Amino acid sequence: MHFAGVDIGSTMTKVVLIDKKGNLLSTIKGPTGAEYRQLANEVMRQALEQAGLQIDDISYIVATGYGRLNVPFADRQITELSCHARGVYSLFPNVRTAIDIGGQDAKCMKIHNGRLVDFVMNDKCAAGTGRFLEVTAATLGIRLEDMGDISLKAAKKIQISNLCTIFAQQEVVALLSRGEKLENILAGLHDALAGRVAALARRLGIEPDLVLTGGVAKNTGIVRAMKENLGCEIFVPEEPLLTGALGAAILAKEIYTKAAAVGEALPTKSRRLEKATFFTQEHR
Amino acid sequence: MSDKNKGLNRARQIYSNRSQRARELKAAGKKIIGYPCAYVPLEMLTALDLVAYQTCGDMKEPITEADRALPHSFCPVMRNCLDCALKNKNDFLDGMVTIHSCDPQEKTARVWESYTNYPYFHFIDMPISVRPEALEYFKSQLDDFRKTLEGFTGKKLSTDKINAAIKAHNRQRALVRELYELTKPSPPRISGTELVQVIKALTSLPVAEGNDLLTETLAEVRNRTEGPAKKSARLLIWSSTLDDADVMDVFEAKANVVMNESCGGIRAYRADVKSSADPLEGLANYYLNEITCARTFRQATLGETRKDYARDLRSRFGYLKGIITEWKINGAIMLLVRYCDPFAFEMPSLKDYFNTLGTPNTYIEYDYTTGALAPLRTRVEAFLETIS
Repeated sequence: MHFAGVDIGSTMTKVVLIDKKGNLLSTIKGPTGAEYRQLANEVMRQALEQAGLQIDDISYIVATGYGRLNVPFADRQITELSCHARGVYSLFPNVRTAIDIGGQDAKCMKIHNGRLVDFVMNDKCAAGTGRFLEVTAATLGIRLEDMGDISLKAAKKIQISNLCTIFAQQEVVALLSRGEKLENILAGLHDALAGRVAALARRLGIEPDLVLTGGVAKNTGIVRAMKENLGCEIFVPEEPLLTGALGAAILAKEIYTKAAAVGEALPTKSRRLEKATFFTQEHR
Repeated sequence: MSDKNKGLNRARQIYSNRSQRARELKAAGKKIIGYPCAYVPLEMLTALDLVAYQTCGDMKEPITEADRALPHSFCPVMRNCLDCALKNKNDFLDGMVTIHSCDPQEKTARVWESYTNYPYFHFIDMPISVRPEALEYFKSQLDDFRKTLEGFTGKKLSTDKINAAIKAHNRQRALVRELYELTKPSPPRISGTELVQVIKALTSLPVAEGNDLLTETLAEVRNRTEGPAKKSARLLIWSSTLDDADVMDVFEAKANVVMNESCGGIRAYRADVKSSADPLEGLANYYLNEITCARTFRQATLGETRKDYARDLRSRFGYLKGIITEWKINGAIMLLVRYCDPFAFEMPSLKDYFNTLGTPNTYIEYDYTTGALAPLRTRVEAFLETIS
């Protein structure tokens, strides 16, 4: 008896396979991309290969993330908010607040005993999301993954006054031409992003323990800036990208087990790994 | 079997092609007067045999022309309304009545007037407060409106005519309330999406035709055997305007929307115009006091030195308590069209009020484009997951 969580985010696609005891069997991450969004089946195939399983071995599959409707073989769709909440709870049982900063949005979740009880999400604007960092990394000609460590060397933080991704980019160019040091600019950028997300989280109310997830949680500079902005300890999972897919897999297991306990047969989708077709009524 | 030209089918047709009937009436010699907002006293148009036609935005239409005149960080509904006007989509209008219901409408009215060339244009300077002095001022504004209408039509707006129009519009309000009675059962007999289509059809038709449509729809819905399916939650949506079936579909994919407390729903139909010796007084009283839009300043404790937040909340939102009980609401959504400041500022207080009632609630913002539907779906579903 095995379970799968498929998290198709705006930037990255993640798959987690677990067994009936909840042990991790395989985890796969890959870029979502324009074409890739149609290819959830490929990511799933890789995950199955890693675990040495066949698709028919999977008892129940939950899809989540913005692309959750593009997974034709998933048995159920659950939003990334509930899945993150469940995934984070499995790693940090004392969690009450989780903040997930992804490629395209930021979300703050209030969690009680693993259940999502309230949430806020940022708007469609890229400020306060991973895109903000991607754009500025490209402008500065540095690798995204190096940004955090460079910023930690800063002697001071340069105030970035504009939170709009595009205007902030212009501001960075102006600062560089003025001769400001890269690490100081980066420290300022991280502070700007963290400040925006912290304001969002305060709207919800912050209760400890607080866990930070999503690709942006891999940035050490952001983690530090978030701590400073929120004034509390922040826990980061070892693999912050995977909590949504992990939560989806755990929810798949729980839904299946609960139904099995009362002898209910859950409807499941065809286990054929095929490409998603868009906008058909069947998958809505 | 339902007649394809009656009731819900007819409402759906009109919803999809709103201006068709107005164009036919225009060809038959009627004068069509546009209005952007539920605060315009339609009775005064009806009384002079003018056809009132609500100029709505179209979420599917990318805003291009209106950006010549209005800033981006401005109510997208008004930008969209103006955009449609500037693209000549309302070329059948003989006139336009605008009103100072909120600042974006007032600013847009100025632009609208200068960019278009209708034979008739009138702006009603509506006060923002419900105090007695405001009512007197509003009445004088309606008297000005009467004068320009009489000048335009060359007809006198007699008390008898206006009383007859009030009667017809009150009939419409009563019929809409009857229709909303049909969302009380579980599952509801009529869906939120069908109601959006019916209400939007009403804003595209003369009042008598709208009343016929409502009568047909009521009979059809009462007699039909197959209605909406029962979903996991019964929602109340509170918004400035929710008048698009695609947006409503996002909510109804996994819930029954049994109350749409917005200008695309019951808001303009929840109360009646009371009869009074001076019909303009009855109208002024109704439009100022009875329509519960966030644009109106209401404070129970105004002039008092002690704060009584709970009493203030009850006076501003108390009407929702009865709705929540009677319609067995188990989730409330405060839906904000981005940049709608009056509603945005009302949200924290309303959230407090829902919390005192113990009604699970959430606040969702969207930007009135079809691109906003996917993020909207995630937020709606996540909320439903928290209350399931």
